[in-house]
Amino acid sequence: MTDFTDSLKPRHDGTATLQAERGRSSVDVDELARHLLSRDGFLQRQKKVLAVLSRVKLFKKDQQMNLSRPDRYHLALARAKALQRIVRKHGWDHDDYKMCEYLVDEMSPFHLHMTMFVTTVREQGSEAQKRHWMPKILDYDIIGCYAQTELGHGSNVRGLETTATWDPAQKEFEIHSPYLTASKWWNGAMGRTATHAIVVAQLLLPRSDNDKAYDNYGPQTFIVQIRDKKTHQPLHGIVVGDIGPKYGYAGMDNGYMLFDHFRVPKSAMLSRYAEVSDATGAFTRLGHPAVVYGSLTFVRGQIIMHARLVLARAVTVVVRYSAIRRQFRDRDSTSEQDDEMKVLDYPTVQIRILPLLATTFALHYTGEMMYSLYHKSRETIEKGDFGPLAELHSASSGLKSLCTMLAADGIETCRRAMGGHGFGGGSGLVGINADYLSKPTVEGDNWMITQQVAAYLIKKMTEAVKDPSAPASDPTASLFQFYLANRDHRIPQSPVQGSATDDQAIVDVFQWRAADLSYRAYHARVVEKKPWTRLMIQLHNLSRAYSEQILVTNFCNSFSSSSSTLSAPTPAVLRTCFRLYALTTLDASASSFTLTNAVAPHAVPVLQDAILDLMAELRPHAVKLVDAWSIPDWLLDSALGRSDGRVYEDLFDRAHRRNPLNGVTFNVDWRSEEIVLGSGDGGRGILAKL
Amino acid sequence: MGQTPDWVKQLKPSGPQGHELLAAERSKSTLPVAKLSELIHTKEVLERRARILEILKSEQVFDKSQNYFKGRIERFEAALARAKKLRSLRVKHGWNLQEYRTASDLISEPGPYGLHDSMFLVTIGEQGTPEQRDFFLKRAENYEIIGCYAQTELGHGSNVRGLETTATWSPQDKGFIIHSPHLTASKWWIGSLGKTANHAIVMAQLIIAGKSYGPHPFVVQIRDLKTHEALDNVHVGDIGPKFGYNTMDNGFLLFNNVKVPYISMLARFSHVDPSSNQYVRRGSPSLVYGTLTWVRSTIVMQAGSVLARGVTIATRYSAIRRQFQDRDAPESEKGENPVLNYTMVQIRLLPLLAATFALHFTGTRMMQMYQQNQEKMSIGDANKDSKRGPGPEETSIGSDILADLHATSCGLKSLSSTIAAEGLEVCRRACGGHGYSSFSGIGPWYADYLPTTTWEGDNYMLTQQVARYLLKSARSVLSSQPPTNDTTRILHNYHSRADIGCAFDILSSDSDIVDAFAWRISFLTFEASKHRDEQKKPWNDLLVDFYRLSKAHSQYMVVKNFHEALQSHDTISQVDSETLEVLKKLYRLYALHTLEQEGSEFYASGAVTVKQISLARTNAVMKLLKDIRPHAVRLVDSWAFDDWVLDSSLGREDGKVYEDMFYRASELNPLNQITVNPYPESAVLFKKDEREERRSKL
Ligand SMILES: Cc1cc2nc3c(=O)[nH]c(=O)nc-3n(C[C@H](O)[C@H](O)[C@H](O)COP(=O)(O)OP(=O)(O)OC[C@H]3O[C@@H](n4cnc5c(N)ncnc54)[C@H](O)[C@@H]3O)c2cc1C
Ligand SMILES: Cc1cc2nc3c(=O)[nH]c(=O)nc-3n(C[C@H](O)[C@H](O)[C@H](O)COP(=O)(O)OP(=O)(O)OC[C@H]3O[C@@H](n4cnc5c(N)ncnc54)[C@H](O)[C@@H]3O)c2cc1C
Repeated sequence: MTDFTDSLKPRHDGTATLQAERGRSSVDVDELARHLLSRDGFLQRQKKVLAVLSRVKLFKKDQQMNLSRPDRYHLALARAKALQRIVRKHGWDHDDYKMCEYLVDEMSPFHLHMTMFVTTVREQGSEAQKRHWMPKILDYDIIGCYAQTELGHGSNVRGLETTATWDPAQKEFEIHSPYLTASKWWNGAMGRTATHAIVVAQLLLPRSDNDKAYDNYGPQTFIVQIRDKKTHQPLHGIVVGDIGPKYGYAGMDNGYMLFDHFRVPKSAMLSRYAEVSDATGAFTRLGHPAVVYGSLTFVRGQIIMHARLVLARAVTVVVRYSAIRRQFRDRDSTSEQDDEMKVLDYPTVQIRILPLLATTFALHYTGEMMYSLYHKSRETIEKGDFGPLAELHSASSGLKSLCTMLAADGIETCRRAMGGHGFGGGSGLVGINADYLSKPTVEGDNWMITQQVAAYLIKKMTEAVKDPSAPASDPTASLFQFYLANRDHRIPQSPVQGSATDDQAIVDVFQWRAADLSYRAYHARVVEKKPWTRLMIQLHNLSRAYSEQILVTNFCNSFSSSSSTLSAPTPAVLRTCFRLYALTTLDASASSFTLTNAVAPHAVPVLQDAILDLMAELRPHAVKLVDAWSIPDWLLDSALGRSDGRVYEDLFDRAHRRNPLNGVTFNVDWRSEEIVLGSGDGGRGILAKL
Repeated sequence: MGQTPDWVKQLKPSGPQGHELLAAERSKSTLPVAKLSELIHTKEVLERRARILEILKSEQVFDKSQNYFKGRIERFEAALARAKKLRSLRVKHGWNLQEYRTASDLISEPGPYGLHDSMFLVTIGEQGTPEQRDFFLKRAENYEIIGCYAQTELGHGSNVRGLETTATWSPQDKGFIIHSPHLTASKWWIGSLGKTANHAIVMAQLIIAGKSYGPHPFVVQIRDLKTHEALDNVHVGDIGPKFGYNTMDNGFLLFNNVKVPYISMLARFSHVDPSSNQYVRRGSPSLVYGTLTWVRSTIVMQAGSVLARGVTIATRYSAIRRQFQDRDAPESEKGENPVLNYTMVQIRLLPLLAATFALHFTGTRMMQMYQQNQEKMSIGDANKDSKRGPGPEETSIGSDILADLHATSCGLKSLSSTIAAEGLEVCRRACGGHGYSSFSGIGPWYADYLPTTTWEGDNYMLTQQVARYLLKSARSVLSSQPPTNDTTRILHNYHSRADIGCAFDILSSDSDIVDAFAWRISFLTFEASKHRDEQKKPWNDLLVDFYRLSKAHSQYMVVKNFHEALQSHDTISQVDSETLEVLKKLYRLYALHTLEQEGSEFYASGAVTVKQISLARTNAVMKLLKDIRPHAVRLVDSWAFDDWVLDSSLGREDGKVYEDMFYRASELNPLNQITVNPYPESAVLFKKDEREERRSKL
C-alpha cells in the first residue's frame, strides 16, 4: 500500500534528539549495564535468547491487542508449546527458559508447571514421590498447576473448604467440594491446559474412638490427575474450566474446579513433612518445612528483582518519549524562534518520572542483598537453621508489599505522564500494566501481609524492651536497642542543610522512624492491649516504614562496596539517585517523620528545593541511565520508547499499516441495520455473537 | 464442555449467604435510602432512568454478557450496532437530548456516534454563522452528515497553538487548501473519526498571504456519502487498540492539499473577507470558553458517580467476602469476619465513599455557578471587555467573571478526575483476587475512564492556570484592592492576620476545618507569589509548586462546598436529622483524611499543630470509620446503580456474588467450549472447538 503519507516525516527528528541526549552525559552505559545485570550471566543470555526468538513469527507481538480472549489463549498456548521445542532444540537450560518467558512477556499456560507445580513436588514430595513424578514433569508428559485458592478463600488458607477425607477401608482419600465456595478458583493453567494439579485440601482423618467423626488436620497438598491423558476431558467426578476474562493475563487460563467425592490413592498426598499411617490412620509430622520458608524468601527476592526490571521498562519508555515529545515554548521565552520545550524539561513531568528512575536502583540493591544472603545461607537452611535469613524472611513480606506497589503504581504514573499517547496501544505500557497489576494481590495480598512484618517487629521490640542489653542477634535488634537507649534525648535531624545533604543522616532518619513506629505498635498492642483490628492501619504504615528503611540502607551501603568500582561520573549519579529516592520518599510521608521525632519539622520545607536541584542534576543522564537497564526494543514493544527515537513513524505505521480495523468499511447510517458495508446481513451477524 | 452436572448445580456458597449478609448490613442502619437517592439524583432523574432502562434491557443488541470476551473489531461492531439502535430508539420514543444522554450513560460504553452528538454539533452551533448552521446542522441532526472534532495531532495535544495542519487561503478560488506538511501534523486520537465520520471539524492554522493567524475550525468532508470511502487525498483510519475505549474508533487523518469551499471555515468570530482577502475578527469568542468551562464542570459533576460505581461494588463485596477470624474474637463469636470489618479495608474504602458525596456536592455547585454565569453573560455585561485575549489563560482578574469560574473548573477537573481514577483502582485492589477478574466490573470501567485525566486539559497542565489565577488574586490583595470574590476574600483575611496567626479547632468544629483549608491555600499562594513576583524565579522552576497550589485550592473548594451543601436549606429540608448527621460524618472523614494526608503543608502554614494532625490520624479518623461503617451498604445503595449498569458479579445488589461469578465463568465463557492438546510435542492446539455448535443452539 503506497500513498502520499509515505513521504511524510515528523517535524523533529527523534533519532537525532536521542543522540543529542546521549551526547550530554558521559555515563558509561555498558559498564553500568554490566554492574546491574551480570548476575547469572543475564546480559549474555538476553542477547542469545533474543537472537533466536525475535526471528520466530509466532512471537510477533503487534496483533495481540486486537485479539479476543479465546484467541489470546490460543496464541499463548501455541507459544508455550513452541518455546518448549525451541528450548530442546538449542539445549537451553532453565535460566534460558526463564529468559524466554521474560522476553515473550506473556503469562504462559505452562508457567505454573515449571514454577509452583514442580517446586511443590520437589520440596514437599517424599523421595519416592519425587522419583515417580519428577521425570514426568521435566519431560512435560504431564502438565501441572497449583490449586490452592478457592472461590471463597484466598488469603486465609486455613479457611479452605475442599476436603480430603481418609477412607481407612480403601486406603484412599476422597476429595470433595461441599460448597460452591469450595470451588478452586484463579489457579493458573488449570482452566484448559493442565492434566494434573496440586490440590490443597483440608485433611480429615477419622477419630480413633469414633470412626464416624473426623478431626481436621489442616490444609495438606495432594497431587491429583484431573484430565484424561488421551481425550484431555476432565475425569469423572471433576468439573473444571476457565474462569473468564481478567484485567490482564489474557493468555493464561486461570481456572475453577470442583470435586464430587473424587477418589485418589494414598500416594497422592505429598508426604515429605506429613504422613498418614496405613495401619492406624494416624497423622505424623516429619520435621519442619524450613526449606519452604527458605524458598519463599527466595521467591520474594525474585519478585523484587522482577519489579525493578518492570519499573525500569516503564521508565525507559517515558524517559525516551518525553525527551522527544515537545509541547509549548518556555513561558519565559521571548523569541518566537525558540523551539518548543521537551516535556522532560518540565519539573511537573520530572517529579513524576525521575524519582521512579531512582527507585529502579533502590529496588536493585535490596534485591541483590537478598540474593546474596540467600545463596550464602543455603546450606544452613537445608538443615533447618535460618541463620541470617531469619530476619530477612520476616522482612520479606513487607518488601514484597512495598516493591510490587511501587512498580505497579509506577507503571501507571509513567503511562499517565505521556498524555494521550500513553493511553494508546503504541505506548507499550498497556499490557505490562494490566499484567503486573496482579502482583499486588498474588503471593500474599499487599495489605494483608504487612501484618506479618508488624507482628515480627512487635515481637522484636518486646524482646528489646525486656532485655535492652542482650547481645544483638541481627541489625533490627541492634537498631531497637539503639533506639531505646536514645529515645529520651533524641534530637530530630535535618538531612538537608543549606546546599549540603548528609547521607548518613538520611539513613538515620529512616531507621529512627521505623524504630519509633515499632515502639508505638509495641506499646499499643502489648502494653495497652488494643484490639488488633483497630491497629491495622498503623501496622500497615509500620511495615511500609520498615521496608523503606531497608531500601534506603541497602542503597546507601552499596556506595561503600560495589559501585565505587564504576568510572566517573556514574558513582556520583547513583548517589544523586539515592538522595532523590530518599528525599522524595521522606517528603511524601513527611508528617510520619516529624511525628516520630526522626526529622525536625523545620527541615521539611527545604526538601522541595533540594528535590528540584537533584532532578536538575539527574536530568542530563536520564536517557543513558535507562539505556543501562538494557531493555531490548523487542521486549519494550513500544512506539514511544524505541531506542532509536522513531516515535512518530512507528505510531503511524502501527495505526495505518498494521491495524486490521482499517481493513473493514462500515455502514454508519443508523437507518440501516447492516453493520459491515456490503455484507447485507442486516445486523444478524453481530447479534449472533452477543 | 458438556452440560453442567447436577451435583454442581446443587452447590451453594458456604456459610451465611450473600443476600443474608447484605440484608444484615442493611438492617444495621436506618438510613432512608430512597430519600437519600432523591437528594443525590432528584426524583425526576430517577424516574427518567428507570423508564429508559426498561427499554434498553428489552433490546437484545444491548445485552452485555459477551462484552468482556471479545476482540477489538467485534467490540467496535457491537458498539456501532448499539449506536444505531440507540438513535432509532430516540426517534421512536421522541427522546430529548437529556433522555438520549441518560440512555448513553446507562449503556456506559463509548460509542461511535459519541463525538457527532457532542463536540461536532456543539461547535457548529456555537462557532458557525446562521448560514453555516443552516447549511450543516440540519443534515447533521438528521445524521446525513456524521461528524467528529479533529483538533489533536500526532505531535501536539496540549499546545493547540503548535498544531501543524494548515488551511491556506486561496484568493483565486475564494476557498482554502487544507494540508498536512509533516507526519506529526496527522490528526490523532479523534473520536468517531477512524471508521464512522464522513465529516470532521478540523482545527488548522489559518494562513493568508504567507502569514499565520493561529488555529481555526473548518468543517471538512472526508468520506464519500455513498461508498463511505475516503475522498481523494484524504487519508483516514483508526489508530488501533488502546488501554480502554476500544469501542470507539479514535482516528488519524492526513490531507494532501485538499481544496475546501469558503463555507467550510466556521465564521462566527472571524472570517476572511473574500473581496479584500483580509482577516477579520468579529465579537468575542468568550462564549466558547464558556463551553470549555461547561465541559469541565460536567467532568467534576460526573466524577462523584464514576467513583461511586467502584465504591458500590467494593463495599458490597467486602461486606460479603469473609476472610479470617478476628484475632481478638472470643470463642463464642467464631466464624470469619467480613473484610469490611478490617480497618485496613475501611481506610481504603470509606474515605472514598465520603469522596463520592464530596465530589457530588461540589459538582452540583459548579453547575449552578456555571448557569448563573451564563445568565449574566447573555445579559451581556461580561462581553464588554475587549482586552480579552484569544485563550482562557489570558483572562485577567476582576475584568471577567469567567476567570474565577474558569480557574475553579480547571483545578477541580484535575483534582476530581484524579480522585475518581485513582479511587477506582483502589476499589479494585481492595477486592483482592476477584477484583482482578473482568467480572468485578471495575477494571473495564476504570480503563474507559482513564483518558478523562488527560483530555479537556491534562491534569498536570491545568494546574498552571489555577496558579496563574491565584497569583493574580494575590497581587490584587497585595496592592490593597478590596476583595471581590471568595478567593480574594480568604487571601485578604490571611494577609491581614498572618502576623497574629490562627487557631483552628479542626477536631470539633466543622467550619474551622474549612477555615484551616483556606488558611493553607492562602499561605501557599503568598509563598508562590514571593517566589515568582519578588524573587523572579523562572516559571518553569515553579511548576511543582503550582501543582501543589492548585491541588490545595481545589481541596479547599471541595471541603467548602461539601460543608455548605450540608448547611443549605435544600439539603436540610430533604433529609432527617439522623441522615444529616451521617452526611456530616462523611464530610469530616473526607476533610480530616485529606488534611492528614497533606499534613506537612497544613503544619507549615501554621493552620494546625503537629499534635492536631496526630490526633486527627489516630483518633478522629479512626472514630469516624467506626461510626460510618454500619451505614456503608445503605450509603452505596443510595447511589442507586442498577445491576444492569454495574455489570458486576461482586457488586450485585442481591449479594449473589459467588453464584454469579460461577455462572459467568462456566456458562458464558466461550473458552470452555474448547478442548486443547497441551503437550509440547504436538503441533495441534485446539483439538475440539464447540463454540460454533453452542452459538447455533442459541
Ligand atoms: C492473576 C492471578 C493468578 C493467580 N494464580 C493462582 C494460582 O495459580 N494458584 C492459586 O492457588 N491461587 C492463585 N491466585 C489467587 C491468589 O493467590 C489470591 O487471589 C490471593 O491470595 C488473594 O486472596 P483473595 O483473593 O482471597 O483476597 P481476599 O483475602 O479476599 O482479600 C480481599 C480484601 O480483604 C483484605 N483482607 C483479607 N484478609 C484480611 C485480614 N486478615 N486483615 C485485613 N485485611 C484483610 C485484603 O487486603 C483485600 O483488600 C491468583 C490470583 C490472581 C489475581
Ligand atoms: C481516548 C482519547 C480520546 C480523545 N479524543 C479526542 C477527540 O475526539 N478530538 C481531539 O481533538 N482530541 C482528542 N483526544 C486528545 C486529547 O485531547 C489529548 O491527548 C490531550 O489534549 C493531551 O494532549 P497530549 O496527548 O498532546 O499530551 P502532551 O501535551 O504531549 O502531554 C505529555 C506530558 O507533558 C506534560 N506537559 C505538556 N505541556 C506541559 C507544560 N507546558 N508544562 C508542564 N507539563 C507539560 C503533560 O502534563 C504530560 O505529562 C483524545 C485523547 C484520548 C486519550
